[in-house]
Amino acid sequence: MLYIHQAYCISPQKTFQDVDLQELHEPAEKRLLAIEPLYDGIPPGVLRRMGRAVRMGAGASMPIIKNTAELDGIIIGTGKGGMEDCIKFLNQIVQYEEGLLAPGNFVQSTSNAVAAQVGMMSKNRSYNTTHVHRGHAFENALIDAVMQLNEFPGSNYLLGGVDEISDFDYNIENLDGAYKQESISSKDLYQTDTPGSIAGEGAAMFLVNDQAENAIACINAVNMLHSQDLAQLEKLLQQFISTHIPAGEKIDLFLSGESGDNRTLKFYTACESLLPVNTPVARFKHLSGEYATASSFAVWLACYIMQQQKVPGNMMNGPVEVLAPKTILLYNNYKGLQHSFILIRKN
Amino acid sequence: MGVISAVGNSVAENHKSLVEGLCGIRNEFDLFPTKYAELLPFGQVRISTADLLKKLHVTDPGVTRTSLLALHALNEMLQDAGLSPAALSSSETALAGASTVGGMCLTDELYADANKKTDGSPYTSSYDCASVNMYLQKHYKMNGIINTINTACSSSANSIMYGAMLMKNGFAKRAIVGGVDSLAKYTINGFNALHILSSEKCTPFDEDRKGLNLGEGAAFLLLEKEEDIAGKKVYAELTGFCNANDAYHPSSLSDEGDGPFLSMQGALKQAGLSAGQVSFINAHGTGTENNDEVESKAMLRLFEKVPAFASTKAYTGHTLGAAGAVEAVYSILSLIHQEVYPTLRFKKAIPSTGLVPVGSYKKMPVQHVMSNSFGFGGNCSSLIFSKV
Amino acid sequence: METAELKKQLKQQIVQFLNLTSVNPDDIKDDEPLFGEGLGLDSIDSIELIVLLSREYGIDIKDPKEGRKILVDINTMAAYIEQHRTK
Repeated sequence: MLYIHQAYCISPQKTFQDVDLQELHEPAEKRLLAIEPLYDGIPPGVLRRMGRAVRMGAGASMPIIKNTAELDGIIIGTGKGGMEDCIKFLNQIVQYEEGLLAPGNFVQSTSNAVAAQVGMMSKNRSYNTTHVHRGHAFENALIDAVMQLNEFPGSNYLLGGVDEISDFDYNIENLDGAYKQESISSKDLYQTDTPGSIAGEGAAMFLVNDQAENAIACINAVNMLHSQDLAQLEKLLQQFISTHIPAGEKIDLFLSGESGDNRTLKFYTACESLLPVNTPVARFKHLSGEYATASSFAVWLACYIMQQQKVPGNMMNGPVEVLAPKTILLYNNYKGLQHSFILIRKN
Repeated sequence: MGVISAVGNSVAENHKSLVEGLCGIRNEFDLFPTKYAELLPFGQVRISTADLLKKLHVTDPGVTRTSLLALHALNEMLQDAGLSPAALSSSETALAGASTVGGMCLTDELYADANKKTDGSPYTSSYDCASVNMYLQKHYKMNGIINTINTACSSSANSIMYGAMLMKNGFAKRAIVGGVDSLAKYTINGFNALHILSSEKCTPFDEDRKGLNLGEGAAFLLLEKEEDIAGKKVYAELTGFCNANDAYHPSSLSDEGDGPFLSMQGALKQAGLSAGQVSFINAHGTGTENNDEVESKAMLRLFEKVPAFASTKAYTGHTLGAAGAVEAVYSILSLIHQEVYPTLRFKKAIPSTGLVPVGSYKKMPVQHVMSNSFGFGGNCSSLIFSKV
Repeated sequence: METAELKKQLKQQIVQFLNLTSVNPDDIKDDEPLFGEGLGLDSIDSIELIVLLSREYGIDIKDPKEGRKILVDINTMAAYIEQHRTK
């Protein structure tokens, strides 16, 4: 489907500069907040306007823009876009009773602000789009990139997923039951038997094209499902495996989006039980937290694992060591309703 | 096709208004309390939210006006298409929708939930743009690829493109494409803060234009492949499309209109058409100083002789995320009926361009229609529909 | 309020309101252009500065184009404020 040549990630862990996943960064006040870099590459006059999501998205894109002669498109997935700016503007509306309002927050709050800013900073006039379908926002962006490459072979695309935690959005999601009421350590996320997960955020950006040479990894297949029906999910996984993974090929790692939410655990355990016996399982949401485009973090993680040729110990579910993985199957669901499978292979 | 807007609750009603020059922009806003109800004209759909709930038999909690408008238009489209429930639920049927407002039409509830002033309204999972298509997916038990795009004012033009691409690349056999937006205190105040709302009914492409009027609406179209249309009613062919970026400023277009020029040029290229073959352009034409002048300049750059063009936003107001889809329906109506609809209230051309849009309804040969939608962030999209 | 003090306050307000985190208010020259060159502000900033003038000084400028004639540099802004402030 497509090849990943560059991958950068700003997240609650040390994933951007000097990547180090051994040391686990913990939630602060029940949120896994991203470790933001200095954003040296973004002109101060531009940076000062950016909300967190736009900053992270732009920041993670900068190395790709610098390293790539010509981009043929910018394709972003985001669940909540610039929600912080959105509510800031909303608060102005209430505070000033619809009087004279400063428009900066409004302009930055549109979901496509990330893609737009990256386009402006790189003066890129080509294809530019933003997918916002919540737990499938990144997956649709990925499919879009695949289709663009089919249409325009030899092109290069910036593909990414980004979401931010804002105080305001945290309040809304919390009211909706998305997060745990109790404070926990990330280390204990999967041992809890309570509803909700930990709020997370991050930006994962990739340079993708149809050239195999020098690629870090290859995404071979992606499939999505809207359902709360376990049987439907199981059927989809079986079809996915039989269609895309030949009989003799081992799944070196099952990368699971298990989130610590006891309401959605059944989906993950069901998938694991359908895998070939002894398939190693690793989990990532104790690193990233839960957010709509967390699967983009997982794809970055898969790329990192392919490059390092091993999996950080704190991710493994069980005392298994995985060395030299070539085939990674990623399964994620968002709120037990939007499911996705992504197959990633080492180039 | 299915459409709902300030000029009608169905394709037939919209068509009648377009032909008869009946403008839907009024100073009678009554969706929610806002100080702008008296001050500004709006293209409000003529059904209250309560009546939409009744008409559509919706009893689920947490369904927003945006979702209801979408459901209304989608229902009309499904009836028009005669799509069976089995086909609708097939994993080969994609839904590519768009919205910029989503559930933020409930601005007051959003404020309360976001600032912890309540124990949680019924809408806590309905505020984002995706909530509309999540609702439609659930309502119709759809099993194909579902997507929502938000690229501001070009959103539903981009979903039409996305749906077509899904079909072209084997991800879907058919695609339901379109978009929706409803009027919201949030967008009213946002656009007003940018000083681009007019206190009068908008006059696109006019020298004295003062800004845009906000509208609301929804439209959905069913896209099918050529090999699947035998024996079916076919309105038009989507022959070309292109998205390009102006890359200049967050909320205004560059002087020379690079983004609009590139999207129009790209659509022509994909359609395999020369500029001279375009019969009519349904322009973005919002009525703002910036858009109309820049769009005109881009047309002058691309077309040796600018074809007949008009902006139907003079009828409906700017329906934001729905604009691309609503105007796609209008473009197709032009093809079906071989006629074009005017830019209402146009009086005098912009001095720097001298371009005069179609000023009154007329019958004329229409073979290829280009429809433009340009959004914040420099997002420029052009679609070309052709007569079958 | 003395003009010098007003200008100093104005610079601080501009930096804060427009979130110019990389700019030291004291480094803004009184005759440095606010738009284009100099501070490099754009059209959204000009609207935001009109809001600033209203909220801090009770000055209402209805048309952003008129506003640009006033918002040339700190000198012109301070002069206008001194003439028209209601707060």
